[in-house]
Order: sequence, then structure tokens, then C-alpha cells
Amino acid sequence: MQNKQHKGSGQRPPFWRVLQKSALSFFAMAPLLLGVIGLVGLFQVLVTPKMLASLFQGNPLTDTLIGTLTGAAAAGNPVVSYLLGGELLAQGISLYAVSAFILSWVTLGFIQLPAEIEVFGGRFTLYRNILAFVFTMLIAVLTTLTLQVLS
Amino acid sequence: MKKQGKPFAFRGKYLFLTVLILYGVLFLVNSETTLSALQKSSTVLLKILPIIALVILFTGLLNYFLQPKQVANHLGRESGAMGWLWALASGVISHGPMYAWYPLLEDLRSHGMRDGLIVVFFTARAIKIPLLPMMIDYFGWGFTLVLSCYILIGALVQGWLLELLERK
Repeated sequence: MQNKQHKGSGQRPPFWRVLQKSALSFFAMAPLLLGVIGLVGLFQVLVTPKMLASLFQGNPLTDTLIGTLTGAAAAGNPVVSYLLGGELLAQGISLYAVSAFILSWVTLGFIQLPAEIEVFGGRFTLYRNILAFVFTMLIAVLTTLTLQVLS
Repeated sequence: MKKQGKPFAFRGKYLFLTVLILYGVLFLVNSETTLSALQKSSTVLLKILPIIALVILFTGLLNYFLQPKQVANHLGRESGAMGWLWALASGVISHGPMYAWYPLLEDLRSHGMRDGLIVVFFTARAIKIPLLPMMIDYFGWGFTLVLSCYILIGALVQGWLLELLERK
């Protein structure tokens, strides 16, 4: 009834009601968000940064791919990716790999895939992640090449 | 007859249940690790709670002030270059993990936000303004500047490509 009246008269519903609706839609997503957060906690404990760093082999080409995959698999604050990236560089790992690693840490996320599929649908998630994967490697290579040219 | 609204239903129940089972199994194998994981998860949750509150408020404000048609004008098919720039800028200034923004983006999408702009938003989030000084400290000015430029260009190209792919 009230909805009809709003539509009919073109009046806005009160702000608190709109806010309540927004809060409710977040609440409906609580299991989804809690599931992802639970996975983040599990991952942070089971997969240590040292384990990730040990996967790099010293080959720029394969390391760029490894950097993208490990960054996508990792979870946590991006600050950790900078710290790890700095350590990897100091260990002699190429800038291609480190760039890919810190970029995919933010743009890709295996852990949040189920939530992304649930919210945006399978097709969108598939396309977005494939594009993000390809572009992460491309941007990593272009950044390193550009820096080499500039220096 | 058109439905008045979607009935309330929890989403991601199976994911949550799977994660609960994982924790349960891990607890039987190694209770210390499980408690540590639980502690880490709680820390993440506490950290993102203010962001979630902010996103709820932001969603409410958007829904209150903007009619779906206006959302479509700013972020829909007819938004033009400004829509892409809005998505880019909001991606750069957005804070917190990607999944905290899913409900807001879903809401905007249901009001007509184009998918390409969602991709632009997600990619532009790779530039973290508060973390730029740290990135400069670790990798230098040159790296930070070049990487940021490529991220912005890459975000726009990815958004464009996604829409091309979806049209197929």
C-alpha cells in the first residue's frame, strides 16, 4: 500500500527506511561474507608468506606466471604483498614476477570466487578473472620494460 | 503482475556451511591452528566492519538520492566517458577488501550500472592511495608511477573488453 502511494505520488520513502533496506540486503549476504572471511583466516594460517616465496624459481617467464598465481591465491592486506615483494626482489626474483605478484594480490582472488559468482554470476566472474589474469601479466611485463627503457 | 520485491533470503549458505565443516575437520586434526585461523578471521571481520557500515550508509544515500534512472544515466549505457571516469576514480579511492563492495555494486548493477564499469572499479582498486608512500619506499617513484598508469589504462581496456565479450 505504502509502496503504491510512493510510486503514485512520486514521493521518496523516508531515509531510515531506505537505510534499513540497505542494511537488510547486507545482512542477507552475511553468510557469504563470513564464509569468505573464514577462508581468509584459514589461508593466512595454513599458507605462510615464506611458503609462497619459496615457489619462485628465478626464471623471469615462469616467475611472472607464478607471481600471478600466488598473488591470486594469497589473502590479506596488500601491505603484506609489498613487504613480500620487497623481500623477493632482494632475493633476486625478477621485477616482472614481483609486479605480477603485488598486482594480482589485489585484482584476483581465488578465495572470493564463490562469493563473486553468487553476486555477479558465473559468466561475468569468468570473463573478469580471465581478463584480470592476462592483464596482470601484461601490466607486469610492460611496467618492467618501460622502467628498463627509461633507465 | 509484477512482484513487489524479493523475499528475504540468506545468500552463501552453502559456502558458509562448507567453511564451518572445514574448520570443524581442521579442529579435530589440529585445534591450535584452527583457533589461530579463527582469530585471524575475527581480526579481518573487525577491520572490515567500519567499511561495511560505511558501504551500507553509502548504499542507503545512493538509493535515497538517486532514482534508478539517474544511476543508469551516470553509470549505465548512456553514461559515456564520465561513467568510465567515475568508476576509475571510485575504484582508486575505495578502501577495504573487494568483497565488502559486492552488495553496493550488485545494487547499482540492478539499477543499470554497466558491467564494464564494475570491472574498471575492481581493477582500479589496485591503486591504494594510503599505501602509495609505502610502495614508493619499497619499489621507488618510477615503478609506482609507471605501474599506476598501466593499472588505470588496463582497467579501462578490461572494462571495454568485458563488454565486448558479453555481447557475443
